[in-house]
Formats: sequence, structure tokens, C-alpha cells
Amino acid sequence: MTAVIENLDPLLRALGTTVLILVVSAIGSLVLGVLITVARVSPIPVLRGAAFAYVQVFVNIPLLALLLLAVFALPDAGLLMPLTTTVIVVLTVYEAAYVAEAVRSGINTVAAGQVEAARAMGLRLSQTLRHVVVPQAVRAVVQPLGNVMIALLMNTALAATVGVVELTSAVNKVNLVAAQPIPIFTAAGLTYMALALAIGLAAGRIEKKVAIHR
Amino acid sequence: MSDIRLPRRRFPLITAVLATASVAVAGCGSSDSSSDAVPGGGGSADAAGLDAVYEDAPVADDELILPESTMAEIKERGVLRVAAALDAPLLSQQDPSNPDDVEGFDIDLAKMLAIYILGEPNIEIVPPASETREALLQNGTVDVVFNTYTITEERAEQISFAGPYFTSGLAVAVAADNEDISSIEDLDGTNVIVGANTPAVTAVPEVAPGAEVTSFATDPQAVQALVQGRGDAYVQDYTLLLAAAAANDDIKIAVQPFTEEPYGIGLPPEDAEYKDFVNDWLEQIQDDGSWAEIWEATLGTVVEGDAPTPPEIGSVPGS
Repeated sequence: MTAVIENLDPLLRALGTTVLILVVSAIGSLVLGVLITVARVSPIPVLRGAAFAYVQVFVNIPLLALLLLAVFALPDAGLLMPLTTTVIVVLTVYEAAYVAEAVRSGINTVAAGQVEAARAMGLRLSQTLRHVVVPQAVRAVVQPLGNVMIALLMNTALAATVGVVELTSAVNKVNLVAAQPIPIFTAAGLTYMALALAIGLAAGRIEKKVAIHR
Repeated sequence: MSDIRLPRRRFPLITAVLATASVAVAGCGSSDSSSDAVPGGGGSADAAGLDAVYEDAPVADDELILPESTMAEIKERGVLRVAAALDAPLLSQQDPSNPDDVEGFDIDLAKMLAIYILGEPNIEIVPPASETREALLQNGTVDVVFNTYTITEERAEQISFAGPYFTSGLAVAVAADNEDISSIEDLDGTNVIVGANTPAVTAVPEVAPGAEVTSFATDPQAVQALVQGRGDAYVQDYTLLLAAAAANDDIKIAVQPFTEEPYGIGLPPEDAEYKDFVNDWLEQIQDDGSWAEIWEATLGTVVEGDAPTPPEIGSVPGS
């Protein structure tokens, strides 16, 4: 444990990087994921097809492969982004596919009659989605979205493999000198657990707050 | 009818999928074994040369295998469990097309130790994440670590080291067209790539406090990052850099080794009998010349000149 306390400063800075990656990718993937779902249920076949293809591609490719491609193949194509930015972009597009799947299952809970009613009242498609479908769909899937965000948190650890100094990478460095893997990695594991619990509790709170009482 | 027809129809599909898969696998295999990215990796001549070394390898007398010792336990089990990397060219490299074939300086020495205890090169490799080597030794998952394991006093508090069995050092590679970096002082203020969990992680900030350090998980990744300009220099073990520079024209070695890394054989803590036993073995293979022969067949393929004099056993604090 002394090894962790002695290196608290770099470890906390690395934890900051983990939280930064988590928050930015979480916001990005939630927004992108909802947009993809909207495309997926839209009446325009091209949009539906593109959204379907997007989800299939990102759900079926391992995240590590995507990260390595983005970090090592994109520069050959002429796009050299800073490492942390690359990781945030990859995590955003990857988790957006899972967010989209979660929100789509929420949309299935909105009765078709409501959409028909909205149309009958003269709402346009965008109005129907914005005021009727999406708010109800998202409320129904707060807890699953929380789980997607927890998975996102765990996935930030992969950033260590491509040179980003986040929590996992920093504890590796501390262990390299201190040679006490068990206390050091236990501390890191507990930190991840605390963050995941916080996300889970927040999701539970939000779910209760926004629940629709029928 | 349909429930009979359905499985019949599936068979051609399954066969087709299997055929495609096996073609793909075969394709990978052949391209891997024909590439020269891993110098010394597929050298059948080297392997044949080492067979003779294995045949003449020393075997411990029965009275050296003390009853109820770690050695006796290994002999009883019939296999030496070794923590060693699978992705270190020249040191411990697995052949991707033939997973049983692992070659390199570290792993050949591990086989020699297995012969010494068991009479045959019977080893079981446990790929260690290098961050958990101490734990693997402490909880008895492995008997020995051959993993470019630098002897440090912090580590020696947790486990024991036999050896050192080899001394290497960190050197600096840069892009082939880079003329700005020619000494270790030039690293100050640059972006330096290192391998995660290598001695370079701590050594670079010591010699160049103003350098920014970016670490990548594997050696090929670090080389690729250097070529793509994510960093100005790559600091890594000299032999690994030599192998990388030999395989890749885009990089060159700019600074010769600037540290001394004594590599030790990691052993479980507080087992003096076992440590003495391994040190005796190391002395024997150094004296009978097989240490040098193994060096020639592995690291010697990229380093010019004769095999170096092995470091003196117990000469480093912590060993």
C-alpha cells in the first residue's frame, strides 16, 4: 500500500485522465447512439440501412482491434491525432453502437398507437420523435444505459495499450518500480469498482426520478 | 421431410465455411513464416545447432536434488514451469504458425535448466504479464522466471535472483532521417517512446528529465509509432533495437547503450538451496561453453563480434 501512497500524485493525475476519457466518451456516445437509433426507426430506407450497418460493424469488431487500427493505421492514411483524442473518438463510436441497441429496445416499449395518435394530431416526424417517442424510450432504458456506461469505464483501461497514461497505465508504471503487484492492482481494481458503483447508483437515482408512473 | 432436408443442406455450408477458414489460417501461417520480421526466429540451422548443445547439456547428479527441495518437487512433476514472454524476438519468441516452437536466448537457457533437473528439455511456459512476475513466483505458479528480468533491490525484497546471467543496456533508436539526436542529452525536450513495463520507463526520466514519455504495450507497436512520428526517439533494450533496426530500414540506432541492465533468473523467495542449485548450473553452462553457443545462435545473429563474457554470478546488489 505504501507504494500507492508514495505515488499518489501521478496516480491521481492518471485517474483524472480516466475520468476525462469516460465523461467525454459517455456524452458523445449517448448523443451519437440516440441519433443512430432515430435513423434506425426512421421511414427513410437509406438511413435505416446505414444505422443497421453501423451497429453491426461496431458491435462485431473487438474494441482493441479498433483502437490499434485507429492509432496505427490512420496515421498511414494521413490522419495523426493525439493519442488521448484518438481513444476518446474510438470509444465514442464504439459505445454508441451499444447505446443505440439499448435505446432501440426502449423504443419498442412505446406503443405504436402513440405514434399514430401523434400523427393524427398533426405532429411531424421530428416532432413525434422529439416529444413522444425518444423521451419515453430513454426513460425505459436508464438502467441498461448505466450498464453500457460501466462497460465504457472498463474499456478505458485498454487505452493503456496504446500509450495513454490513464489509471491502468499508471499503476503498471508504479508496479514496475515497487514490484508489489497484488496491493497495487487491488487498489486500482477498487478504484474502478468505486467509479462503476457511482455510475450504477446514479443510474438508479435517475431511473427513479424520470420513471413514468402509468 | 423438411426436418431431414435441413441438416443435409447445412453440410455443404459448414464445409465451405471450414474450407474458407482453413485457407485463411494457412494463408496467415505461410505469410508469417516467410517474413523476416523476426530475425533468427525461423532459423532451422540454429535449432539444429542447439540440438547438439542440448545433447551435451549437464544433468544434475541425483545427490544434488535434495529431498523435499524445490528441485525434487520439479523432478517429481516432470516439467519445469517457466514464466517467459512469447513476443520477444531473439530472447523468447513464439512461432505464430507453430505455437510449440518458442526460440530465443531466454527460453533456450530455460530448456537447459530443465535438462539439468529433469534430463530432458521439458518446460511449460506461463506467459507472465511482466507486471505480475513477483506474484507468480510468490504463489508458486511458476518455478523460474526467464524474462529479461532486471535485478533491482526492490524486487530482491520480494523474490530471489540467481545470476545475473546476461548484461544488456538501453539504447536509443530514431527515424532513419533524424540527425538531431546523437547523444542521450539530446533526448531532453523531445517525445520519447518506450515499451510499457520495461526499464526504460524509469530510466528515461532519470537521464532526460525534460523528455515526455509515451509507452506502448509491445515492441512492434513502439517501432510503428516511431516510424509514424508519434515520438522522436525509441528507448529500448539494445538487442531488441538491433533486431528491429535490422528488419526495418526506416529506423536506426542513434545512441549506443547508456545503462547496464543485469538480467537475473527470478526464483521463489527464501529458498537458498534452490538458488545455490541454479547458480551452480549457470556456472557450469558458462564454463563448458554452452552459454556462449546459445548466445551465438540467438542474440549473436544481430550483434557483431564474439559472445561477451558472461557477468559474474552474484556481482549485482540483489542477486
